[in-house]
Amino acid sequence: MPHQERRFNPYTENGGTILAIAGEDFTVIAGDTRQSEGYNIQTRYAPKVFRLTDKAVLAVNGFAADGNMFVQKVQQRLEWYAHAHNKPMPLKAIARLIQTMLYAKRFFPYYVYNILGGIEEDGSGAVYSFDPVGSYEREACRAAGAAQSLVQPFLDNQIYFKNQLPPPGGAHPRHLPLNDVLSLVIDSFTGATERHIEVGDGLEIYIVLAPNKSSVELERLPGVKRIQGTFDIAGDASPDVTAAAAAVGVTGEKMFVMRRELKKD
Amino acid sequence: MSLSNGAILPATLASGTVKKVIEINKFLLGTMAGGAADCQYWETYLGIQCRLHELRNRERISVAAASKYLSNLVYSYKGMGLSMGTMICGWDKTGPALFYVDSDGTRLKGDLFSVGSGSTFAYGVLDQGYHWDLSDEDAQELGRRSIYAAGHRDAFSGNTINLYHVREAGWEFIGNYDVTKMHYDGPGDVPGAPVGGYGYDVRIKTV
Amino acid sequence: MDHHPTNWGRPRDDRVDPYGTFPIHARPRPKEDAFGDAVKHTQQPIVTGSSVIGLKYKDGVMLAADNLASYGSLARYKDVQRLHPVGTSTILGAGGDMSDFQYIQHTLDSLIIEEFTYDDGNKLGPTEIYQYLSRIMYNRRSKMNPLWNSLVVGGIKSDGESFLGYVDLLGTTYQSPTIATGFGSYIAQPLLRNAVDEHPEPLTEEEALSIIQKCMKTLFYRDARSLNKYQVAKVTAEGVTISDPIEAPTVWGFAEGIRGYGAQTQ
Repeated sequence: MPHQERRFNPYTENGGTILAIAGEDFTVIAGDTRQSEGYNIQTRYAPKVFRLTDKAVLAVNGFAADGNMFVQKVQQRLEWYAHAHNKPMPLKAIARLIQTMLYAKRFFPYYVYNILGGIEEDGSGAVYSFDPVGSYEREACRAAGAAQSLVQPFLDNQIYFKNQLPPPGGAHPRHLPLNDVLSLVIDSFTGATERHIEVGDGLEIYIVLAPNKSSVELERLPGVKRIQGTFDIAGDASPDVTAAAAAVGVTGEKMFVMRRELKKD
Repeated sequence: MSLSNGAILPATLASGTVKKVIEINKFLLGTMAGGAADCQYWETYLGIQCRLHELRNRERISVAAASKYLSNLVYSYKGMGLSMGTMICGWDKTGPALFYVDSDGTRLKGDLFSVGSGSTFAYGVLDQGYHWDLSDEDAQELGRRSIYAAGHRDAFSGNTINLYHVREAGWEFIGNYDVTKMHYDGPGDVPGAPVGGYGYDVRIKTV
Repeated sequence: MDHHPTNWGRPRDDRVDPYGTFPIHARPRPKEDAFGDAVKHTQQPIVTGSSVIGLKYKDGVMLAADNLASYGSLARYKDVQRLHPVGTSTILGAGGDMSDFQYIQHTLDSLIIEEFTYDDGNKLGPTEIYQYLSRIMYNRRSKMNPLWNSLVVGGIKSDGESFLGYVDLLGTTYQSPTIATGFGSYIAQPLLRNAVDEHPEPLTEEEALSIIQKCMKTLFYRDARSLNKYQVAKVTAEGVTISDPIEAPTVWGFAEGIRGYGAQTQ
């Protein structure tokens, strides 16, 4: 038998799906919480969506070890930025930072698809999606991961109104209200859970509201929890840093998490 | 492709909506084919270097120099797996200029290029309709019609078309056109474009 | 300034390339090590341990692993302890390459000693050990020179909550109320999940031990790289305890009549 070399494969796939949708003055970023390898469910709760700042949330999907390590490195860079500049990094700058961090490992990539969501400096909801080596663009919605091929066409139809005719004499709405978007997110994941074995167990939805957006309606929904944060990503910013932030007026965005059960089979 | 009175840069969109034309600065455009990240990252990087050139030399970099900077850069990575097929396009002291640069290190000056999986389809239309004295409108229409052909026949091209026009004052974004709409209804009320769709109407002879 | 991203954050080496004139891939490196060319990465596991299982229960966590270290299909060492206490509130269980596991034990013991010498009253708990291990494992995989193990970390956190986590040679991590590595993920994990999920209350120590014993017995029946001798470790508020080797009572009489199981008769 010819000698064959068994090479160590430094990658694996851990399943799951993430998704983000930008509204006019809000963004939702969601992911299921199942982590799997092959047919094995490793755990039913492994978060894939992470808060970065008061107005930025990052969802990572692909090889979980790379994903977790990448998020930690991004968070560290944002903490350095916050200390150096005494303000949180703006969303579009985080997007560019993520590009350079991903591309820095162009020849041994992070095997991860990133979706960044949050509120832009002009108060608009924004979603940035990345490929593993850093190509990125701003979009209104994006699904990634195991069930991307199931969820993205659904979103194309429901968000971009692809293959839908506008009502006679009318036009498709440019932005959907928060309640509709939340329903679409939940439907996307229940649908993906039904048809994809790597999706399920739990759903974690982050909701970021622009400064002037009311949260009254949202807080009435079941399973919604406000995330009290300061812009310091460590979550334990010193009081003077927090006060300084308030002084420059960099407060106002509100962030919430909404947790839902998904089928576990 | 470049013309006597300017240069046209049309390109299709791959991931559905990824911008395949990268605005390096107000006078330089780069196109994207191959690795999206490679093109996006290095053409952004090229933009930084072009700005530094401006600051150091008190004048804009020539398209030749900019494209050569890029080709030298990708050549230093040769064999490591970069994948870029790009056109660097702009206006400098010499007038309109167009260069083809790829990750093998090839750099070519020319009046007319088409790059990517659908390039052969685009060339077919481009070559039969091109001549040096094309008017602005006709040049734009030829670009649009060429990429439409690629979008129609190539499985990996399509969705929408972005059209740019480079003149002495820098580039101008002309518009974004849906390939399917162009097939059935045409690009809309656009100078140089025919009435009706590029494909459907022609075939059923309504026009 | 060297703008090449592969060199960002790295000092330029003026000894060999003072003007940054070389293409990146051809950039000469000073010889760091006379035997550098002889360094071979990415071995393969030689002497290996099989599954580790663990679960959370009312008073803490319980881990179990058998005492076998195999050499391929040879049952080479039958008295190897694969459970290792780390500090006073953490237990580590390992499968995979046993020499890499010994290296990990050594590293963690040194870490605990160093922490002790600070004498600041700070103690490393299971979360810290888990994080530390995940960094070691991920960094080694990123150097294409992995520590060939599947590790289970169990313990009691400083807030009194129990902890159970997994780290492997790829740096993959997760936490879960039940964990089983290797062959145990097929055989033991369903039994453990069934026991925990179907139970309305947290399991008592007796219930936890009984399900662990059932798992180890089942593993012995079907895992060809397992041994009918294992140890059970538990971490509670009282601290870490590791049992003496336990033997699971097995019954093979049924095999007599089954073709392909017991001795072949025809």
